[in-house]
Amino acid sequence: MELENLKSIWNELDSLPTPETDGELIHALLQKRSRGPVARMRRNLIRELLLIIITYIPVIFFYLVEFEGRLSAISGLMFLLGLFFCGYYYRKMRLLKEMQCVSCMVRSNLARHVETLKKYTRFYLLAGTLVIPFTAIYSYAILRWKLPQATGIQLYHRLSPAPWWTNSLYWLLLLAPLTIAVYYLNAWYINKLYGRHIKKLQELLREMDE
Amino acid sequence: MQTASVLYPDLQEAFIHLVNQHRGILHKVCRVYCFTEPDRQDLFQEIIVQLWRSYPSFRGDAKFSTWLYRIALNTAISDLRKQHRRITLADPGLLPAELQDIQYSGEKEEQLQLLYQAINRLTEIEKALTMLYLEDKSYQEMEEILGISQNNLRVKMNRIKDKLRKMTKEATYGIGKP
Repeated sequence: MELENLKSIWNELDSLPTPETDGELIHALLQKRSRGPVARMRRNLIRELLLIIITYIPVIFFYLVEFEGRLSAISGLMFLLGLFFCGYYYRKMRLLKEMQCVSCMVRSNLARHVETLKKYTRFYLLAGTLVIPFTAIYSYAILRWKLPQATGIQLYHRLSPAPWWTNSLYWLLLLAPLTIAVYYLNAWYINKLYGRHIKKLQELLREMDE
Repeated sequence: MQTASVLYPDLQEAFIHLVNQHRGILHKVCRVYCFTEPDRQDLFQEIIVQLWRSYPSFRGDAKFSTWLYRIALNTAISDLRKQHRRITLADPGLLPAELQDIQYSGEKEEQLQLLYQAINRLTEIEKALTMLYLEDKSYQEMEEILGISQNNLRVKMNRIKDKLRKMTKEATYGIGKP
């Protein structure tokens, strides 16, 4: 098969009737949402953020108002976590926005896609791992300094004079393996979600440069 | 582009007019990258959505067709969703539905079948190159669309031609088939 000989057949395809693409059909298509991978990732991110907002706000108010405000430190923790997630989603959203430039040359679009997707997964892994020590340290601080003020704690201390959770060494011993385990779990999950996609894009890029 | 915006002051109307003028390109991209009707429709829709999104930023620095090829190929190449059905060499429904109804001479139909069979076995980048070559695009235009240097494009085109020759031999004489 010689490509030269096929040019004429290929060009004949232009004279064939193409499926109906009248104004109304295109107009209808313009009303539809993108079903591309990046657009779906953005929609999922917005859904996750809404879920965080809907679940965190009542919890923050609950601990702020209930128990005469003695457990307001938990509200503080939830508030900080909420802020952390807002920053997390903002960064992810910006990366997704930068991820594609469909009107750029194919090679530069692919390079940009791969680079931003790698940044996106690195940030996902870092944030998903750091949230564990952050939550644990804050929780320890609440238990260590805020719990003594809680009602009925004297009775608890009488039953258990030296509870393990007051010792920071136990927390460190628990925290280290937990953080490492979460790191590997996140790495596995992120690779499952995006690994194949990144590999395929890198292969395409390599092929273009060869 | 200018003519369209003069004739159709409404942005959407101008866009629809331009897309209709160049719809052949879009259908060819869909035929090259997808082999089932649902996949083709999905890709066509996605390309239209992406074109519409980028349309306000089109300044006419490049030809409209160059801009259109970039968006169509970028959308087709980076959309790595699983397709509904991967075809095999012996698939009798290989030709796109609208082409199956056209009465070709036996030889031409066979050649068209072979062309689509061969394209199906090319990589995503090779498909883009082959399509632009068949569309009679110059190496300079190909460079503007793909971002690959002209020297590299020439080397790649020679490799693709060799690959296609080899594939034809395999299909004709059964050489190298598993």
